[in-house]
Amino acid sequence: MILRLIKLDKVAAFGSVIGLISLLAGWLTLRPNRLVSSPSTSLWGSFGNYGAVSLVVLWLICLVLSLSGLRNRRGLLLGITANAILILTLVLVGFNASRLSEAAPEIARVSISSGVWLTLAGAYVLIYAARQNLQKQRTWYHLISWGTPVVLVILLATGWLNQVSILEEFHSYRLRFFEELFRHIRLFGSGVIAATIIGIPLGVWATRNRYAEKSVFFITNIVQTIPSLALFGFMIAPLSALSFALPWLRDLGITGVGPAPAVIALTIYSLLPVVRNTYVGIRQVDAGVIDAGLGMGMSRWQVFRRVEVPLAAPLALEGIRTASVQAVGLATLAQLIGAFGLGWFVFTGIGAAAPDMIILGAIPIILLALLVDGIMRKIVRISTPKGLIGAT
Amino acid sequence: MIRLEQITKRYGDTLAVDQLSLEINEGEVCVLIGPSGCGKTTTLRMINRLIEPTAGQIFINGQDTSRIKVEKLRLSMGYAIQSVGLFPHMTVGENISVVPHLLHWEKDRIAARVIELLKLVGLKAEEYTGKYPGQLSGGEAQRIGVARALAVDPPILLMDEPFGAVDPLTRQRLQSQLVRIQQEIKKTIIMVTHDLDEAIRMADRIAIMESGRLVQYDTPEAILSAPINRFVRNFIGADRALKRISRISIQKYIRPAEFININTSPNQVMAEAKKYRWLWVIDDNRQLIGWVDRDSLPGAASIEEVMNREEAGEISLMDNATLRDALSQMLGLGFKYIPVIDDANQIIGELALEDIEEAMAGEEG
Repeated sequence: MILRLIKLDKVAAFGSVIGLISLLAGWLTLRPNRLVSSPSTSLWGSFGNYGAVSLVVLWLICLVLSLSGLRNRRGLLLGITANAILILTLVLVGFNASRLSEAAPEIARVSISSGVWLTLAGAYVLIYAARQNLQKQRTWYHLISWGTPVVLVILLATGWLNQVSILEEFHSYRLRFFEELFRHIRLFGSGVIAATIIGIPLGVWATRNRYAEKSVFFITNIVQTIPSLALFGFMIAPLSALSFALPWLRDLGITGVGPAPAVIALTIYSLLPVVRNTYVGIRQVDAGVIDAGLGMGMSRWQVFRRVEVPLAAPLALEGIRTASVQAVGLATLAQLIGAFGLGWFVFTGIGAAAPDMIILGAIPIILLALLVDGIMRKIVRISTPKGLIGAT
Repeated sequence: MIRLEQITKRYGDTLAVDQLSLEINEGEVCVLIGPSGCGKTTTLRMINRLIEPTAGQIFINGQDTSRIKVEKLRLSMGYAIQSVGLFPHMTVGENISVVPHLLHWEKDRIAARVIELLKLVGLKAEEYTGKYPGQLSGGEAQRIGVARALAVDPPILLMDEPFGAVDPLTRQRLQSQLVRIQQEIKKTIIMVTHDLDEAIRMADRIAIMESGRLVQYDTPEAILSAPINRFVRNFIGADRALKRISRISIQKYIRPAEFININTSPNQVMAEAKKYRWLWVIDDNRQLIGWVDRDSLPGAASIEEVMNREEAGEISLMDNATLRDALSQMLGLGFKYIPVIDDANQIIGELALEDIEEAMAGEEG
């Protein structure tokens, strides 16, 4: 009987354990100013009795649910509980940040500590597990995926979280933040677009000719082994020499430092996934299909355009997806050669020992990567020919 | 008419095809056969110039193919291969319409042609037009491949082991279907195979190749009865007599049969039918219903009482069978005579084992 009641969901149990551990960590930290650190307060000290007990109870429910044999309802219940934990945590963080900062001097800051981050991470794992079980109930699937983000946006818009130090940091850099965000998008976007324009023809060429195949992969593989930081550095010397030799290049904005070398470095780095996937995409087209196409009287171009391109497109786009996600993160380093972008917050924060500033740069980079990944996955799915879905 | 003149294909030091000359008559099925590596596929692919010959010329209706633009040449002949090569991202309908599209046919004409072709290869148009190749069985895919090759009704059809990738049962069905289609459309077909039974079943002429050379080129009957050398003799195997009679229809050997109506009285039969010991029994509709042993008739009240009632299909041959079918049926039943019936199960005569033996012996000499 007992055995029937117990059915372990490993992923959900893992999330629940993270959540329970988070309860033991520090949750909020009251610091005299934005640079000085001080010990963080416990869950009870941060949220008071009611808040703390509610979170403990909710996490225990999650643990029980992830062990229980409720097969059909479990995903739904887990998803709802995880959303409740997330929303409750956000609301309590905002409320208690205001409470703590009211009693403290103006320059004091309330920042989020590891307990909050761990709880957010644990709840995210639970939502991931819940979504796996809710593939067929589309309404609940979307509610559970988007419930917390919507509440977060509302909380941000109403200023509920304004006393949290990251938000204070954001408000003091508001204009700069959006400027760097757009710079960041421009940097990785240009890099990926350039890599696509160069990489796809290179990938196709590599399938046509043995020498091309060897040289293309020799170069792109070597490039990939250069440490990314070094690649950005490498750009400085040749480009500044070039811009001194040809002054009109300077007028175009191409110099040793700044966005030009950063975009070039990002392009070079994004090349391998694009080239490799294009190459594999075309190579995996069945030789019999091409033979039939040519034998029926299609020209080489028609076979390429009407057979190879549609069949290789999903894989090639998958390469662009890999390159994009990689480039979003890599563009952070562009700051180091004076190209700015969200890396500015990260590296200035490191320089000033201001952790909130680092986080202000890091969070949008992560969100941007997730967003780009989601969009590209959608594009890959749309571009996959109907006849290939479920056939292989 | 297709004429290959002194065709040679050399890859480095190896000769794939060596000075091969061949004439294929219009409306005939020519099967290229031989052990693997004999150059049969290379020869086929040189006809539509997927491979360019090192030397020699190929003429189609007197025109040198090397002077025709390759795409135009290939559009004028259908092409079906063992791996089928259906485009996986296109539906069956779209696959069949590829060549009509290339030739800028009108939409309605293409749609009508797709339906017509699916019907020709025995598939339901409504059901199959929208399917993707990934949803087809091997046999269905092969048939779509043939339909696609026939799309614009080309006078010539090139087939490279078109039924190579399906199970033996399906293969036989597809072969007889192609034979039936061929009777209808009368194309010039050049087919590559390594399956001798397939060649014998389908070919008007068989070209046997060995290491790039044409060894013997003749009708299946001639090759089976007079193999030109030891290679051909070994290739066609010890059972060539059996293979040969599989080409011969029973039509010519049907002789009148003695049969009796079930309502005749046994005495009358005893009096009239004296020639044979076994007699076929028919009903009032002249349909075969069984047989009777003459020795069991004396004393019997009616034929009904002593006859052996049988399913007509099991103890008889259809009139379109071959001598080989007849032989195997007779050996299986232990009969020396077997009745021949038509579509309506009506008896039209019988076949005797001695006639088959004579046929085999006669063709031998």
